[in-house]
Amino acid sequence: MKISYNWLKEYVYFYLSPEEVADRLTKVGLVVADVKPVEDDFCLDIEVTSNRPDCLGIIGIAREVAAAVGGSLRIPEIHFVTASDEISTFINITLEEPILCPRYTARIIRHVTVESSPEFIQKRLKCIGLRPVNNIVDITNYVMMQTGQPLHVFDLDKLTEQKIIVRKARSGEEIVTINGARRALFHDMLVIADSRRPVAIAGVMGGKETEVSESTRNILLECAQFEPRQVRRTSRALGIASDSSYRFERGTDPEGIDRASQGAVQLFKDHAGGEIAGGAIDIRTGRHETKKITLRMERLHKVLGVEIKRDVAVDILTKLQFTVLNDVDNFIDLEVPSFRGDVYREIDLIEEVARIYGYNNIPTKTSISIRGSARSKYEIVEDTIRRFLTGLGFYEVKTFSIVDTSPLQSVNLWSDKGSIDIANPLRQEESRLRTSLLPSLITTKRYNMDHGTERVKIYEIARIYLAGNTLPEEKACLAIVADTDFLTLKGIVESLFQNLGMPLKQEWTGFNESKLFLDERSASIQMDNTVLGYLGEVTGELGFKTQSCLAEIDLDILIEKSLFAKKYQKIPPYPPVFRDLAIIVNEEVTWSSVEKCVAEAKAALLKEMHFFDVYYGKQVPAGKKSIAFNLCFQAQDRTLTNEEVDSSQKIILDTLYKILGAELRKA
Amino acid sequence: MLDKLERIKGNLQEETKAINTLKGAEQLRTKYLGRKGSINDLMKLIPTLPVEKRAAYGQQINSLKIEITDIIEGLIKKFSSKTIPKNKTEIFDITLPGKRPSIGKSHPLTQTIDDIKEVFARLGFDVAYGPEVESEYYNFEALNIPPDHPSRTDFDTFYIKGDILLRSQTSTVQIRIMEKQEPPIRIIAPGRVYRPDTVDARHSFMFHQVEGLLVDEGVSFADLKGVLNQFIKTYFGQDIKMRFRPSFFPFTEPSAEVDISCSLCRSKGCNVCSYSGWVEILGAGMVDPNVFKAVHYDAEKYTGFAFGMGVERITMLKHGIGDIRLFYENDMRFLSQF
Repeated sequence: MKISYNWLKEYVYFYLSPEEVADRLTKVGLVVADVKPVEDDFCLDIEVTSNRPDCLGIIGIAREVAAAVGGSLRIPEIHFVTASDEISTFINITLEEPILCPRYTARIIRHVTVESSPEFIQKRLKCIGLRPVNNIVDITNYVMMQTGQPLHVFDLDKLTEQKIIVRKARSGEEIVTINGARRALFHDMLVIADSRRPVAIAGVMGGKETEVSESTRNILLECAQFEPRQVRRTSRALGIASDSSYRFERGTDPEGIDRASQGAVQLFKDHAGGEIAGGAIDIRTGRHETKKITLRMERLHKVLGVEIKRDVAVDILTKLQFTVLNDVDNFIDLEVPSFRGDVYREIDLIEEVARIYGYNNIPTKTSISIRGSARSKYEIVEDTIRRFLTGLGFYEVKTFSIVDTSPLQSVNLWSDKGSIDIANPLRQEESRLRTSLLPSLITTKRYNMDHGTERVKIYEIARIYLAGNTLPEEKACLAIVADTDFLTLKGIVESLFQNLGMPLKQEWTGFNESKLFLDERSASIQMDNTVLGYLGEVTGELGFKTQSCLAEIDLDILIEKSLFAKKYQKIPPYPPVFRDLAIIVNEEVTWSSVEKCVAEAKAALLKEMHFFDVYYGKQVPAGKKSIAFNLCFQAQDRTLTNEEVDSSQKIILDTLYKILGAELRKA
Repeated sequence: MLDKLERIKGNLQEETKAINTLKGAEQLRTKYLGRKGSINDLMKLIPTLPVEKRAAYGQQINSLKIEITDIIEGLIKKFSSKTIPKNKTEIFDITLPGKRPSIGKSHPLTQTIDDIKEVFARLGFDVAYGPEVESEYYNFEALNIPPDHPSRTDFDTFYIKGDILLRSQTSTVQIRIMEKQEPPIRIIAPGRVYRPDTVDARHSFMFHQVEGLLVDEGVSFADLKGVLNQFIKTYFGQDIKMRFRPSFFPFTEPSAEVDISCSLCRSKGCNVCSYSGWVEILGAGMVDPNVFKAVHYDAEKYTGFAFGMGVERITMLKHGIGDIRLFYENDMRFLSQF
């Protein structure tokens, strides 16, 4: 909210420069974002939090200044004389919706002269960024800015049958608002109507047909209280936000209505002439109940961590216009002023005291009790992966979880349940929760290609979102994109598994996802009948200039399978014996079947087996291939003899022959 | 005969003096020890000698051969070690750049989150996570933000369907943890949050927050100040000043916004701090009793504080990054700087 410095000084006594006031206000929670000189005045732009509608009027700000700097408040007195004609002879008001409009008041001034408003009003309105219109409109704005209470003026002669009915809109009704827009109204909206039609959207905006014009002679001043949520809903539904709706939806002071109305009437009389009809219409359901709250000194101390003396607290609360009701040492009974709807509990009083006492005067405690904290397995796994990949030269990236609906982004390796759409997206580009990290990493690679970095090694750890019952499944994944060949990335992933303490007993089986992978060059990785992830070479369709591979791995399963407890294995004191073998098999025989076959041979002395080459060519018959590998034999209790190794090797070769028809390749 | 041996030896010694290159030494070797060399010539004479003298003569030639070999090998050794640099045309430049292995980097936002985790881990805070797709209850109601409340405007939200939404704050994790656990509680919850903001240099529809929560008996606002002071000094530097301003959050009371002295201009005023000398870095406060009520905690017995900070914001402040979009473009020229 913007306020005028000179105007503020009219209501509270202080000797502070605009910057000094700004600093004090900021320290009590009214952040002054800007102080700007305007002619011989200053405009202070204040950020008022949504719980403080009382500060949406300059008197409210003056109250805060008074409490913060100790100056006294000077709220002007109101005097005016009324004519003998009673208001009821000019208007008939019916309140049909007492819950949505707890209080409705009206005053009437007849024979006004509509002209420019006096200079002091124009100057102040201009200072805070409002455009002067005419004396009537300017005065309603002036009083709203002064008190925080919105007001509205109708041209009395344009109200059909001199009637005001506060009711809900009827279906099919319309209104042209003062800004010239035609609005269709709905039956749950509250309107101010005459006998024929709506003349204002309650608390939001008035109608064009009944607004004050140069020919206006008689006016009706409305000053009311509207239920905040109702105003908010209507304002949102119609897309109209006004100074008035802004205040009503935050809650106005039910007891401030009459004062605002009287203040406006006095200004009308002074600056637009005419005569004030006797009395006022004031329809309300029940009275405002004054809240009473007790503040325990011991609780104040406990919450703030500093002992504030009772008389200090009393002084603060009194300046904020709370009424102290008792005089006992250890607690304060208080009455809450009607404009402080936000204060209804002891904790709210504690905040009031703390605010004015000064947050910066509360001590900063430098010790805290001991409590152990350990990294969870999730964090250990995540950190291990990051360190591992960082060491291998991978960069971590972060990409958006909300993506577009392109075919690439619809890739879903994990589920066939479909994706989750945003109901209120800002743009089509961000309208769906992603089901894979890989499309975003591909985009990132492409971005870097276009910006001069041809080769990348990147990864992301983030969640993907798979449609579920009520809440989706949020699966944490690790995705990798690297300019390597298939086996290099496979090796990286296998080393990663080992780093996480997982045994290397994964099954790699063929898997197709043609939007991402080259056919026959992609695999699903499984372990104990669970899918760990997918890995494959990038399809040419993606237009990469380099050979690239992708992998997406389920992080939650890695967490489950990882094992960080390490048990020492005795280092064998006797030397191993190595044998290099090459076998000739049919070309469709896979390495994993060779491995399995060797395992089946159960050669007792075999310790390890390592692949080193596969060969097609002249020395190998057509339809066959040669697979070369290295066998390591070792015993814990002796040095092996050649004969022992030979017989163990023979068992292996025999099994390979029996199961796979493998022949030993002669050099 | 023996004279001959002596003469050869003498000649060698003379010639040795004139040798100063490896090549010369090698020529000497050929001359004396080669197939047509002096020693071989002597050997050829053996069969011409009387049988009884042959053995002694042979021995003497052998010992001469050993002697000469020693001398010549010595020379060769001497010149070969000396001549290596002389033979090479290039001079080794030790100031050439080292061959640096390519090491990757964590994303700068991860680095910030890790730093935050570390500071708070030392103060006994565990790391907690919660779902990003949430219900209105966890994002609003349980956090004391009733429907149709103007404060909801401060937390504009992406909706999925019905009351299911994308969390607009990590405070949701507070509720999830307190529902499961009795006090004492000390957690920080880092994660992604979403708000329908149009993307520009300062706004992103997705960003990261870290939420903190401490609940116990006897926790006060002074403890909150102490814990945040510890964090700020560790993360931003010991000379950074901290300022608490009253503010409003529905889930805390009293509420505060925390500013730090602007490190870029040393509080002299610059566009980062809007010429105020202070930069806002986090929101905090004492947990509102209504929040305790939602999780069935005894608000008389327990007090607590909560705080929340934007990870992008403090990373931008720390490194002087002017545009939030850089974090999500993932340009290697950006990522490699941190």
